[in-house]
Amino acid sequence: MDVNRINPILDAVGGTLPQLGFQSVTKKSVALGGSVLKWAGVMINIGMLGSIKGSIAIGMSTAGACRFASTMMMGMEVKELDELSQSAISEMANMVCANACTRFSQDGIEGVDISPPVLFVGEGGKVTLPVPKVISVAFMVDDIQVDIHIGLHE
Amino acid sequence: MSAIRVMVVDDSPFSRTLLAEALTQGGCEVVGEAESIETLIQVYDECKPDLVTMDIAMPGADGFECTKTLRLHDPAAKVILVSSMKDEETEADARHAGAVGYVQKPVEEDVLLRVIQNVMSPDKMFGNLDAWSCDIFAEVLAQNITRMTKSTAKITEQADLRKNISQGITVVIGIIGRYPGSIVFDLTQEAAEKMAEIMLRRPAKSPAEVVSVAAEFANVVGGVACSMLNRKEKSFGLRVAPPSVFQGATNEIISPMLHMHGVEADTDFGRLSLSFGFKKGTVLWM
Repeated sequence: MDVNRINPILDAVGGTLPQLGFQSVTKKSVALGGSVLKWAGVMINIGMLGSIKGSIAIGMSTAGACRFASTMMMGMEVKELDELSQSAISEMANMVCANACTRFSQDGIEGVDISPPVLFVGEGGKVTLPVPKVISVAFMVDDIQVDIHIGLHE
Repeated sequence: MSAIRVMVVDDSPFSRTLLAEALTQGGCEVVGEAESIETLIQVYDECKPDLVTMDIAMPGADGFECTKTLRLHDPAAKVILVSSMKDEETEADARHAGAVGYVQKPVEEDVLLRVIQNVMSPDKMFGNLDAWSCDIFAEVLAQNITRMTKSTAKITEQADLRKNISQGITVVIGIIGRYPGSIVFDLTQEAAEKMAEIMLRRPAKSPAEVVSVAAEFANVVGGVACSMLNRKEKSFGLRVAPPSVFQGATNEIISPMLHMHGVEADTDFGRLSLSFGFKKGTVLWM
C-alpha cells in the first residue's frame, strides 16, 4: 500500500494519546517487514474494512500495558492487567483506530470502518497479518514502548 | 414502567434547570446534577442514573473528556452529549468519546425524549442477531467441516467465552456492520496440520501453509455465517475483515467489548473452537 496512507494512523496515535493523559508521544522507528511478526506481552487486533482493508495490531509489554492503563485511569495503581485495565487499553486501541478512520475520510478515503478489539495476553508467539508487507512503527508514549503494526491494503 | 433516571452534567445552572424541566415534563426523573469533572464520578456513584446528559463546552475538562472519564469508571454508562455545535467533526468526536446520543442546544423537549427512548428501549434487532448467531455459526461450522474436510463433527455449545485460552493457532476475524463484532477460531497446531493435510490432500509444505489453511477455513465459516445472518435481516449489513492469525499456546484471548458465544466441534483431527460476538451499536444521533 501507499506509505503515505499510514500518516492518518500515525496522526491518530499522536492526536489521541495526549487526550488520555500522556505527556509525550514520540515516533521512534519505522520498519517495513513481512506479514509475520513476533509478539510478547499484549497484542491488540483490530480489523479494518472499506476502501482500505486489513488489520492493525498494537503491541506492548505486559508491564508497559499496566503503566499505560494506570495513566489512562488517572494514575490508579495497576499491579496486574486485570479486567478494568484490559478494557482501558482496548478502549485506547478502539479510539486510535476510530480516529484514524475519521482522518482517512478527511483525506477522501471514505467508508473505512473498524471491528471491536480482540486482545491477546501472555507469553506471545507469532502473528500473521493479512497482507504481504507490514509497516511497523514504534512509539515511545511517555516511557512506554507501543508498537503499531499496520497490515492494510487497498 | 418506572421513570428513566437521568443525571445532568452542565456548568451552567440555567442550562441545568432548563434540561431538568424538559426531562421532568417528559416523565423522567432527574436524580443528580454535576457542574464539572470534579464532582462527576462522585455524583454518578451516588445517584446511579440510567443515563447522563452531558454538556460539551465546560471550563476545565470538556464534555468529551468527562464522557471518557465516566466510561472508564463505568463502561456501561450511557451518555447523551448536548451542545450548540452540530457539525460532523463534533459528532465524530462524540462517537469516539463513547457517547450514545447527541442532542443540539437549545434542546427541544420532544427531540431529547425521543433520543432517550431510543437509547433506553431494548434493541430487539440486536437480540435477534445474538440469538440467531448461535444456531447459524454452529450450523455453518458443521457444514464446512463436512464439506471441506469430508469428516463429521460433534458440535456442542459453550457458555460465556469472554475469556479464552489459545490452544495454539487462533484466527481472528473482525466483523463490520450495523453491529460490529469478532470471530475467533482456535485449534491446536497438530489439529491445524491434520486439517491442512486433509484439505490439501498432502502434508502442508510449510508452517505458513498451515496458517493460511486455518485462516481460509475460518474466513469461509465467518463469511457464510454472516451472509446467512444478512439474509435473515438485511439491515445487519455484516461483512468480514481479512483474518489475522495468532500462534502460541496458552495466550489469553479477550474481547472486552463483546459478549461472546462459542461452539466447539470435536472432529477426527481434534477440537475446533469457534467463538463470536457482536457489539450493541447504540449510537443514535438526532
